[in-house]
Amino acid sequence: MNLRKLAWGNLLRRKSRAVFTGLGIFLGIATFVAIASLTSQMEGAVRDQLDRFGANIVVSPRTEQLSIGFGDIALGGTEVAHSRLTMADRDRIASIPHKDRIRMVVPFHLAAADASGKNLVWMGLPPGDMAEARPWWDTVGSPVRKRGEVVLGAEAAALLDKGPGGTIDAGKRSFRVAGVLRPTGEKEDGMIIADLADVQELSGKPGVVTYFEVAALCKDCPVEDIVAQIGQALPGARVSAIRQVVESRKAAVDQLRRMGYGVSAIVLLIGGLMVLVTVMGGVQERTAEIGVLRAVGFRGRAIYSLLFWETGWVSFLASLLGAGTGIAAAFLASPMFGIENPGIAAVPALLGVAAGLLLGLLGAVPPARRAAALSPTEAIRSL
Amino acid sequence: MGDEMTEIIRLKDVSMVYGGNGTRATALREISLDIRPGEYVVVTGESGAGKSTLLTILGGLQVPSGGKVRIHGVDLAGLTADGLADFRRETIGFVFQSYHLLPYLTARENVMVPMAPGRTAAASKTSIADRLLASVGLSGKEDRLPSQLSGGECQRVAIARSLVHDPPILLADEPTGNLDSLTGEQVLDLFSEWHDRGKTVLMVTHNRTILNRATRSVHLRDGRVEEDHIIKTVPGRQLAV
Repeated sequence: MNLRKLAWGNLLRRKSRAVFTGLGIFLGIATFVAIASLTSQMEGAVRDQLDRFGANIVVSPRTEQLSIGFGDIALGGTEVAHSRLTMADRDRIASIPHKDRIRMVVPFHLAAADASGKNLVWMGLPPGDMAEARPWWDTVGSPVRKRGEVVLGAEAAALLDKGPGGTIDAGKRSFRVAGVLRPTGEKEDGMIIADLADVQELSGKPGVVTYFEVAALCKDCPVEDIVAQIGQALPGARVSAIRQVVESRKAAVDQLRRMGYGVSAIVLLIGGLMVLVTVMGGVQERTAEIGVLRAVGFRGRAIYSLLFWETGWVSFLASLLGAGTGIAAAFLASPMFGIENPGIAAVPALLGVAAGLLLGLLGAVPPARRAAALSPTEAIRSL
Repeated sequence: MGDEMTEIIRLKDVSMVYGGNGTRATALREISLDIRPGEYVVVTGESGAGKSTLLTILGGLQVPSGGKVRIHGVDLAGLTADGLADFRRETIGFVFQSYHLLPYLTARENVMVPMAPGRTAAASKTSIADRLLASVGLSGKEDRLPSQLSGGECQRVAIARSLVHDPPILLADEPTGNLDSLTGEQVLDLFSEWHDRGKTVLMVTHNRTILNRATRSVHLRDGRVEEDHIIKTVPGRQLAV
């Protein structure tokens, strides 16, 4: 016979109260583990999905502002590129140490050229990359599938008065209009989108790339590392992360995490209050019993220990059960939250068990203090 | 000082007042009482006479409003709550009218309860409990729950529990109050037996037939000692009244 056995015996005797005490912890921890588990896995899923949605790094030639003047007379300035980007640079980007983090490298070539008598900007990129590079493009007709085809931005189509099936003359060549983009609100509304090789040929710069767009998967790597590695691979290039994209992705994931922690904290608080109320009720109910224990010589610390053991048993078992239920719930709910490969989030589960135990013991402090301070006489009087 | 050494219990002008403004109730009025080791004192009195209050003060369960209480050489006024708990554990054995056994524990475990916070080895605790249960005639019933025991047997378990730490003083509050007369007599036999073994017994009761077992009777009325009689002298001890 010791305090642990005494505590366990009392729990078995008052099963319904023990179950009710544990219920708050169980629900709290199950919710916490399920949310924390889902959130941690959703972070990855959300990042993956966001990363798939366009590029987050731009690689362009390094330029320098060159002032032009005569004596003290300034005649303005011009940007001079130190070097040109070529298609060979695509392979260099794709071979950096973090190459497994790079989902796509899309070369773009921009050129101003004649289009049926109008001077417009042509945007060239590989037809096979268009769907991934610009997933938000909505084309009336069909996208560019091969050389000799173009897609017109909404404004360009209006300007040229062309639609799907029409033709555009540029220099000595003729291009078939495969489709027209619905308005995007971006610069491409006024552009002609064509195969990269066609635009390079029109501008007389075969193999030259104006810039690369890079989509990096940054679930658990800083985009700055990738930027630095591309910079090392292409010393003549300017590599910059599109901060707005990176930050907005980070903000979205952070918001998701905060919401998860907020809900968990509320549920855990309710669980803690349930423990407090039920254990307090238990002390009230056991005034006489506690009085007898005090009468036979239990010190205040022994009464504390007794209640802590009782609550500790309940909290530990309820937390274990809650963590298991939370993991199972998260696993089952994963598909609904877009998690393709659900796994067991061990850290939230371990944290949950520890938090449940701590919460239970904290919830037992006020009742234990009350029990330890209970006057034996008051208790004996109730005998 | 030499005189103090001979008393195991000494009350000097002890008063107990409950309540505050407007609701004051005086339970004990300047009681002085000396009890020597080996006495068997029966405290009688009407309801409200102060019997139970006297018992709780003697047991260190509450501190009097006034006066001095010295038991087994310890001045209770100087003890903290934990000090009083230690005092109760080492010096006092309590037996209550309603036994107050823990219903989810066996007879053996109930006897072991006062030892639960201690570091005594489990085997030793079991041995002590079984020996005490045997001494109150409950051999073979160690593993029974209180619900499987009669009222008299439950009270025997409670007596065994009170003796776990071998206290020099046994305090009993109406220990036969819930028992039929035959079972009550058997329980009283146990108190007599432990008194014969040298324990000082102080029993609060309405049952005046117990007086023939006691060495002294104290009758309370309205918080005062109305009568204090030596019934028989304790062998080898000179009692002073």
